[in-house]
Amino acid sequence: MLRSHDNVQFTKQPYIEDNEPRRIESIKFSMFSASEIGKISEIDVFRGVYYDAQKKPIANGLLDPKMGPPNKSSGLCATCHAKYEDCPGHYGCLTLALPVFNIGYIGAILDVLKCICKSCSHILLPEKECKDSLKRIRNIKLDSLQKTELRKKIIKKLSSKQEVQCLRCGYLNGKVKKGKTALQIVHTRPKQDKNQEDSGPSPPSLINPHDALLLFNQMLDQDCELLYLNNRPEKLLITNISVPPLALRPSVFVDGGIQSNENDITERLKRIIQANACLSQGLQDPSNSFKVLDDWDYLQVEVAQYINSDVRVAVLQGQQPTKPLSGFVQRLKGKQGRFRGNLSGKRVEFTGRTVISPDPNLKITELGVPLLMASILTYPECVNRHNIEKLRQCVRNGPKKYPGAKFVVEPNGDKRDLSFSGRKRIADELKFGYIVHRHLEDGDVVLFNRQPSLHRMSIMCHRAKIMPWRTLRFNESVCNPYNADFDGDEMNMHVPQTEEARAEALLLMGVQNNLCTPKNGTILVASTQDFLTSSFLITRKDTFYDRATFSLMCSYMGDGMEIIDLPTPALVKPIELWTGKQLFNVLLRPNAQLRVFVNLMVKEKMYCKPEDRTTSCREETMCPSDGFVYFRNSELLSGQLGKTTLGNGNKVGLFSVLVRDYNAHAAAACMNRLAKLSARWIGNHGFSIGIDDVTPGKLLAEEKHSNIVEGYRDCDGLIKSFTEGKLALMPGCDAAQTLEAQITQKLNKIRETAGKVCMKELHWRNSPLIMSQCGSKGSPINISQMVACVGQQAVGGRRAPDGFIDRSLPHFPRNSKTPEAKGFVANSFYTGLTATEFFFHTMGGREGLVDTAVKTADTGYMSRRLMKCLEDLAVHYDMTVRNSNGTIVQFFYGDDGMDPGQMEGAEGFPLDFERLRFKVEATCPTGNHVKLSPTEISEIVNRRLLDYDMSTGGGCCGAFKLKLLEFFDKITKRKCYVSEQQLQVFLDACVSRLRLKRIEAGTAIGAIGAQSIGEPGTQMTLKTFHFAGVASMNVTLGVPRIKEIISASKKISTPIIMAKLEDDNNMKMAESVKGQIEKTLLGQVSKSIKLVMSSIRASVVVKLDMEKINSLRLCINAYTIKDKIESSLAKRKNDKLEVKVIDDVKLAIIPKAEKLEAHFVLHQLKNKLPTIVVKGINTIERAIIADEEGKKGKLNLIVEGTGLREVMGIPGVDGCKTDSNHIMELQQTLGIEAARSGIIREINKVMQSHSMDIDIRHMMLLADVMTFKGEVLAVTRVGIAKMKESILMLASFEKTADHLFNGSVNGREEKIEGVSECIIMGVPMQIGTGILNIRQRLALPELKYGPEPIIA
Amino acid sequence: MADDDYNDLDMGYEEEPPEPEIEEGEEGEEVQPDDELNDPVIEGEDREAEAKEKLQRKTSKYMTKYERARILGTRALQISMNAPVMVELEGETDPLEIAMKELRQRKIPFTIRRYLPDGSYEDWGVDELIVEDSWKRQVGGD
Repeated sequence: MLRSHDNVQFTKQPYIEDNEPRRIESIKFSMFSASEIGKISEIDVFRGVYYDAQKKPIANGLLDPKMGPPNKSSGLCATCHAKYEDCPGHYGCLTLALPVFNIGYIGAILDVLKCICKSCSHILLPEKECKDSLKRIRNIKLDSLQKTELRKKIIKKLSSKQEVQCLRCGYLNGKVKKGKTALQIVHTRPKQDKNQEDSGPSPPSLINPHDALLLFNQMLDQDCELLYLNNRPEKLLITNISVPPLALRPSVFVDGGIQSNENDITERLKRIIQANACLSQGLQDPSNSFKVLDDWDYLQVEVAQYINSDVRVAVLQGQQPTKPLSGFVQRLKGKQGRFRGNLSGKRVEFTGRTVISPDPNLKITELGVPLLMASILTYPECVNRHNIEKLRQCVRNGPKKYPGAKFVVEPNGDKRDLSFSGRKRIADELKFGYIVHRHLEDGDVVLFNRQPSLHRMSIMCHRAKIMPWRTLRFNESVCNPYNADFDGDEMNMHVPQTEEARAEALLLMGVQNNLCTPKNGTILVASTQDFLTSSFLITRKDTFYDRATFSLMCSYMGDGMEIIDLPTPALVKPIELWTGKQLFNVLLRPNAQLRVFVNLMVKEKMYCKPEDRTTSCREETMCPSDGFVYFRNSELLSGQLGKTTLGNGNKVGLFSVLVRDYNAHAAAACMNRLAKLSARWIGNHGFSIGIDDVTPGKLLAEEKHSNIVEGYRDCDGLIKSFTEGKLALMPGCDAAQTLEAQITQKLNKIRETAGKVCMKELHWRNSPLIMSQCGSKGSPINISQMVACVGQQAVGGRRAPDGFIDRSLPHFPRNSKTPEAKGFVANSFYTGLTATEFFFHTMGGREGLVDTAVKTADTGYMSRRLMKCLEDLAVHYDMTVRNSNGTIVQFFYGDDGMDPGQMEGAEGFPLDFERLRFKVEATCPTGNHVKLSPTEISEIVNRRLLDYDMSTGGGCCGAFKLKLLEFFDKITKRKCYVSEQQLQVFLDACVSRLRLKRIEAGTAIGAIGAQSIGEPGTQMTLKTFHFAGVASMNVTLGVPRIKEIISASKKISTPIIMAKLEDDNNMKMAESVKGQIEKTLLGQVSKSIKLVMSSIRASVVVKLDMEKINSLRLCINAYTIKDKIESSLAKRKNDKLEVKVIDDVKLAIIPKAEKLEAHFVLHQLKNKLPTIVVKGINTIERAIIADEEGKKGKLNLIVEGTGLREVMGIPGVDGCKTDSNHIMELQQTLGIEAARSGIIREINKVMQSHSMDIDIRHMMLLADVMTFKGEVLAVTRVGIAKMKESILMLASFEKTADHLFNGSVNGREEKIEGVSECIIMGVPMQIGTGILNIRQRLALPELKYGPEPIIA
Repeated sequence: MADDDYNDLDMGYEEEPPEPEIEEGEEGEEVQPDDELNDPVIEGEDREAEAKEKLQRKTSKYMTKYERARILGTRALQISMNAPVMVELEGETDPLEIAMKELRQRKIPFTIRRYLPDGSYEDWGVDELIVEDSWKRQVGGD
């Protein structure tokens, strides 16, 4: 810590220490020298004892009270005379008889020793080179990373040679290496004298700490600088140990004060003292030098373990293995260590945790807090003129009675407990400025959280509502963001303790402000489960309510506080009747004063396309199953509401439209109303599921039976033809694979048809059917599994594997491939499973469980890495994205500066023009305005585009304008004419909305991006392999692939090169290119490889299969093969051989070997020859010709394997359009920008394959972070260390001790800038609300002081 | 902006006329002549310089949500510690609510110092910035 006492100026003014709050500006890491240790210590510690008989700590012992009181009961500190709680602790000093290595610095010591002469301590570089390097390392522009690089280069250069002669003293230096144990340094000296041939290399000598110290003492300062040592190297060794204060290692009395329990550090120090005493005794007595060496080694080990107890050392004799005493490194590292356990994450007060339960009567922003909790948790409210009366009452009530208070704190710091009498007096004496710690009350701000906190919506801010009983309650609509259910989940609640915290929590973390996820802008807080069911039932076409029922249902919506205008009844005669759809009109717009005009068109799940309908009506809205939801000016015209309209995870639903067109409050109010309505309505209506719901009808049973019989017969037929070997092979598969694929297909069809029949047969009032239709729970598959047929059980994507010899279960004959034997469950859950079916079902179930268990840990670590990598990225006021030390990562966030959380359109486009046009058309009718002609439209649009707010500077990017023009082209083509007013409104709406969607300065976009990529990871099933559509070409997908991409693996499991062909509709051409790429072995193109023994010579003769070669279009002949054989065999062996071309199709290979071994050589050759590559690229597994995606007849090549450069060079391949999924290869062949776009594309591909929609901007950011240094850096500890400067941040990630030790060797300075560092130091970070400062205006506006007028 | 409807009784969230998103008078609200209020000491030339500086400010004239949260938090703290309130109250007691009302009426006596990445900064008065969105709805309580 920098406290500038060094430059105190001497003046006549008295020195006054300022008591202003101080801010730690930076931390400097350095090493302590022996003298510095002596200076800070209060006493010398040399006695390895604790207490005397009177339980008093012994002076100069390890618990000397000069270092602070050892525990609570042991009086005052002898140095500062403070109590145990107040004494900060003081250091002691322990002088060692002989120096020892510091285990943390052993690497640095080794490096230094490698570079210096072991005689004169000069660096082993020539003078000139030395100066050059010095100049380079002194360059102030270099950052620590580059300096480390330089240092590494020097060390590598000096340690590569076997022997170096010192240019100054002529001493011959050998190699310096680590010895057998971690604490030995070995110097292998070369032969001193060249003449003494017999002497051999001189025995390797150990460099002991004493020698090292002497060498280091002699070192020049500039040599130190060259090796990036910030300090004198002698500090790397320990001569004095500073004994840490007792506050760090308290001694505890156990068994009622009889025995003391000492800290591990204290015990270790005791051993060190004993070893030290032994050693110094030995030094007195020069006779026994071996014992001294042993003692020294022992001391060395103890000191090393004092620092890091994981250090592996040879167990000395006479030492029993005991439980390891933890060292300092152990205190710091790991999840429970100081960094991750206490500094980055801290335990907090004012929290509560209990079981959660649902309460639809609460608003979505509210949280029902149990009374018990509310009277334990408090909020310190400052007494002011607005709240004094309320607080007086709280004080009077005291801590027991509910709206009470626990303490009153006066401005001078006096704290008054209210649990005793005298509350009334305290209440009367309450003055402005007092702080009352009052109970939680209705409307207080609380944070609510559920682990695992995977994204920012896992902790949101609610308003407390104090309720009786013992659970935390909230509206079910908010289950989604927390991923909570009520099967016993517990959740946490925190109470922010300052006004500022409350304001920030409310405005930034409030449920209202987090309805949409920043992942892609879809709505997250929305109706679920029963709410969907009841809305679905209410909006049925045939539901009518009379005045009484309808009014009752209207009153369900609010709490009797809302003014409701009853709509005109849909039927007037014979009695007034309202439809259920009209109820939703009321729900959206209860009264005419409320100006909310929702316009939307949504296709629900059961929407029937016009072409599929049996009726003649082709109107969208006239869907026979009423699946087209159409709201116009807040009137539901058609459609039965289901999940698409009311549920989460889309951008087109009702609530999304409300959020976008109006505001979050509108959406929240609707959700509240819907929650109340549906909970109350469904409570009366009733909705349940029983056994009759899953009983199959007669028709279904019959059909299923015949279906299964038929399917089984087909399968038997397939198996029969397989055993007979008559099975027609599928491309790229062998017989067994073909059989599997075909049987699987057949079996899936059985289940599908059964399911289809089942869904058709079910009554429309069937509860599971209703639930699946409206999307509240269950899918058609679930229903048909219950009713009709469970279907094939898969393990690892295949049918059940053989757990026994040649069979899956012992109930079946060997090698049986029948459906039953391989896990097909023909029964339904209703009919019940047979024993074998049950076993297969458990197999499938087990896989799912294992998968979940494995992937949690996997994705958790991935998320952590992503977070650590991206945590400090934020948008700054100049709209650049930078990291904490100011390096630009993106010039403009996501290339358009838009907030991904606010995107309305598909694929991350800011607006949905079509919907906006629709809304404009509905809300501002054409009336008798003239409709514009296409030319007029384009004229107006183009004129508007010239305005400032449509310019790039005004916030519209080019892509947006292009899309806008495109849209207008489309609507004029569709002959959708608009009036001028509508056009104007539309354009203005576009501009103003676009402006609201811009990303705001201060947004921690890195953290959001990390969460947006990490959170979906948890939802992906771990081992997903996926057919890329072509003949069994597997591509790794899912979590493993994401892991591969972000850790920039050099070797990925399925590298694939997509090669475009120059002539992409010529199959012959494609085949020849394929032949060039694919590796062809000699064995594949030869008819025979034979040994030919003649009387003259023995040879191997290869006969080529020219027919095959020509049919594969390989363009090879005997001569090219000769070259290949020569080059590949000559490489492998040194022995000579001759290759002779006999004729066009024959080659003879004649090895030249001794007669005796000729036979073996020949056979060896014969075995080796077939594996010689005669054509193609070695690293390529295979190539496949396939149709380009979406385009029939366009051919391209899919090449499995690496070697992008080679593939691009093959004639016939269009190199410009060829690309690979191997990021590192892309970087090496095409450069960093290609790698960047490769990362984006690949992550996007994985996400899309799991149908997960993630905004492209997040992936762009990740790709930019991985590439902004000019090389692809992985999101692993190695890569992150290259991206970030901060020692504290790296230490809190991984390899804690290493980073700290290196930091102090290099004398690094930690400017506390990044997020981790700020959290560790407890400083507000420069992100979000911390990016700005607020200054009070000095000139305050005039205020009227004096009594307020009695009559206003 | 849609805050004028605050006086409505309750949870109504009506705003936006049937013809949506025609922003009226946005420009007019943007910069209020506040120089007297701001720094009465500054003399002619200085003021000119300041005006020039104001013209050259580069950052957005819209208040970010972080600025809003920070301002409201700081102001709420002041109000909770009994600072004089700049607006007429209608029974509000919650400091945050009062602070919001003050911000709505542009009466918060703060200047925002926006730091640019090079260490320079721009000062913006709270009353100079355009505040989008409506308030009460942001905080969930009504």
